[in-house]
Amino acid sequence: MSTFIPGLVHVPVTPFTPDLKIDFNTFEKIIAFHLQHGAQALAVQMHEGESVSLSDLEQRKVLDFVIKTVKGKVPVIAHVSDPGTAIAADRAQYAERAGAAAVIATSTYYWTPPANMVLEHFAAIGGAVKIPFYVLFTPDELGGTHHINADMMMKLIDRLPNFAGVADASLDWQFMINVVSNAWRKRPAFQLVAGNEYMVSAGAVGATSMFTSLAAIAPKRLQKLYEICRTEKYFDAREVQEDIVVLRQTLKPYGRGALKAAMRAMGRDVGQVRPPLDPLSPAEMEKLAADLKALKWLSSEPTGW
Amino acid sequence: MALILRGVMQSPVTPLKEDFSLDIPTYEKLVDFHVRTGATAISWPHHKAESHNLTKEERMRGAEATVNAVHGRVPVSIHVSSMSVEDAMELAQHAQKIGADAIIAITPYFWAPSPDAIYDYFVRLGTSIDLPMIAYNSPAYLEGVEFTAELIERLLLRLPNLIAMKEASFNSEKFMEISRVALKVRPSFSIVAGVEFLAPSVPLGCVGSYSSAGAICPNLCTALFDASINGRSAEARELQFKLAALWDLFRDQYPSSLKGGMVAMGRYVGPTRPPLPTASKEREAFIAKKLEELGILDTEPHGW
Repeated sequence: MSTFIPGLVHVPVTPFTPDLKIDFNTFEKIIAFHLQHGAQALAVQMHEGESVSLSDLEQRKVLDFVIKTVKGKVPVIAHVSDPGTAIAADRAQYAERAGAAAVIATSTYYWTPPANMVLEHFAAIGGAVKIPFYVLFTPDELGGTHHINADMMMKLIDRLPNFAGVADASLDWQFMINVVSNAWRKRPAFQLVAGNEYMVSAGAVGATSMFTSLAAIAPKRLQKLYEICRTEKYFDAREVQEDIVVLRQTLKPYGRGALKAAMRAMGRDVGQVRPPLDPLSPAEMEKLAADLKALKWLSSEPTGW
Repeated sequence: MALILRGVMQSPVTPLKEDFSLDIPTYEKLVDFHVRTGATAISWPHHKAESHNLTKEERMRGAEATVNAVHGRVPVSIHVSSMSVEDAMELAQHAQKIGADAIIAITPYFWAPSPDAIYDYFVRLGTSIDLPMIAYNSPAYLEGVEFTAELIERLLLRLPNLIAMKEASFNSEKFMEISRVALKVRPSFSIVAGVEFLAPSVPLGCVGSYSSAGAICPNLCTALFDASINGRSAEARELQFKLAALWDLFRDQYPSSLKGGMVAMGRYVGPTRPPLPTASKEREAFIAKKLEELGILDTEPHGW
C-alpha cells in the first residue's frame, strides 16, 4: 500500500477559448500559477474542472497535458467518474498508464443503483488500478443518487488494498467521524480528505489533506488555512476559515460560472464555462467583481498570472 | 438567574412506570444525577425525552418537577415545541409561570413552513414571554426545514431575548453560516451542538452541547468538552470517536436504546412509549456488551 498523502490539493478549472475549445495555452498558465502558489498536488477534471462537460477523449488529453506540463513537480490526481462502471474503470487505467499518482471517483451519475451495486462500481474502478484510489463523497452535487455510507467504505477497504481514503464534500460530521474512526481500525493509513475548503472541522476529526478550487482566487489564504490546520491549532484557523467561507458564499449565488468569473476579476481570464452551464452576464460579472472588492483581505492575494 | 450556556448540558429522558405513566420520583433522581455529575444546565423535554409522546398536562407536570428537582443549582430551559403552535404558546407561558430560566423551540413540525412563517412563529413565541429563548435547528429530522443565516439574522434583530441556538445539522457549512452571521449581530449569542459533536464545532465557536449520552457516560462527555475547549485536538478527536460510537449505538430507535443502556449503568428508567419500541432484553444485553468494550462500565458512575 502506498503512503501517498495528497496534502494541499489545488483543483484547476479547465479553460476554454471563445469557441469553447480547450485552451491549452491558458491551461499552461493556470498550472504554473497553482505550482507557484502552494499546490502540493493537482486534481484534474474534477467537477470544478467541468469534467462532465468534457468528452472522454478530452479528459484523456487534459490529463496527458497536465502530467506533461507538471513534469513531476507535484503528483497529479485524476478524477475518473462516469455513470458507466466499465467506462470509469477504463478511464482509471488510462490515468495510471499516463502517470497519474492516484485516481478519484464519486458515485454513479444519473443512475440510482442499490447500495451493493454502488459498492461494485467503486470496487471495479479501484480494482482496475494499482495506484491509490479515493472515493469522492459529494451528495449535494448528486442529489438523491448517493448511496455512500461508512459501512460501504469498510467493505471497500476489505476489497481494495489501494483504497486510500475518502474525500468528503458532504461536510457531514457524522459521516466523516464514522468513516475515519472505523477505517483507522482496519487500515491505519486510511485518509480523510477535506473535499473542499471547510478544513477546520474536517481536520479536527482527522482530515490530513484538502482539495481546493478557490486556490485559483486566494491561494495565500488557502495555504495559510491548510498549514495552521496541519499544526492542529484549529482555534487559530477560525479567522482564516471564516474568510474563505465568506469567499465561497460570495460566489455561491452566481452558480457554477462564478469561479471562472472570479478568476477573471483577479486578472486571470480563463474563458467561460461550457453549456449547459450559464456564464455570468456582464451585469452579474460587474456585481461579482464589486462583491470581491468588498473583501478587503482579498487585496493581498495575487492578481494576474 | 442569568442564563449562561457553556459546557455539557443535559436533557434528561423521561422515566416511565411499567404501565407507561410518568415516574416522577425516578425523574427527580435522574435530574439530580445529571446535576451532581457536571451538567451545566438542564433542558426538558427534548425529543429524547419523548416530548411527542407526552400530553400537554404531562409536560407541565414534568416541567414543574424539573424546576423543583434542579432547585436553582443550574439553569433550566423548557422545550415547548408541539405539533400545534397553540400548545407551544401555552407551554411557554407555563414555563415562565413556574420559574424556568428559558424556553427552547424547534421550527414548526409537519407543514414545511416558509422562512417567513418560521420567522412569524418565533416572533410570536419570543414576544409572548419575558424569558430568554433558545432556537433549535434540526434540518435532517424536519425534511430540510431549517434556520438559514438570513433567517436567524432577522430574528436576532427583532428578538432581544433570542440568546442561543441548539444547532443539530452536524454540518460544517450550515454551522458556520449561522455562527458567523449570528455572532456578528449578537456577539453574546451561544451556539450549542445538538449531540456531542464538539471536536468539529468548538474551534468554530460552539460553546457546548446538549448531551445525548450524558445519562450513560457523563465523565466522557465532560472530558470531551474540556479537551475541545482547551485545544487538545488529538485527545478531543479520540474522545469524539468514542462518543460517536456511542451515538451510533443509541440513535437506532432513539431514545429506546439509550434507556436500554441505562439499565447496564444501574439507572433503570422504564420502558419507552409507543410508537417507539422498548429495548428488548437482547438489545439491552447487546448494548451492555458494547458499553463494556468501550470501557464505559469501568469509567463511569454506576447507579444513582
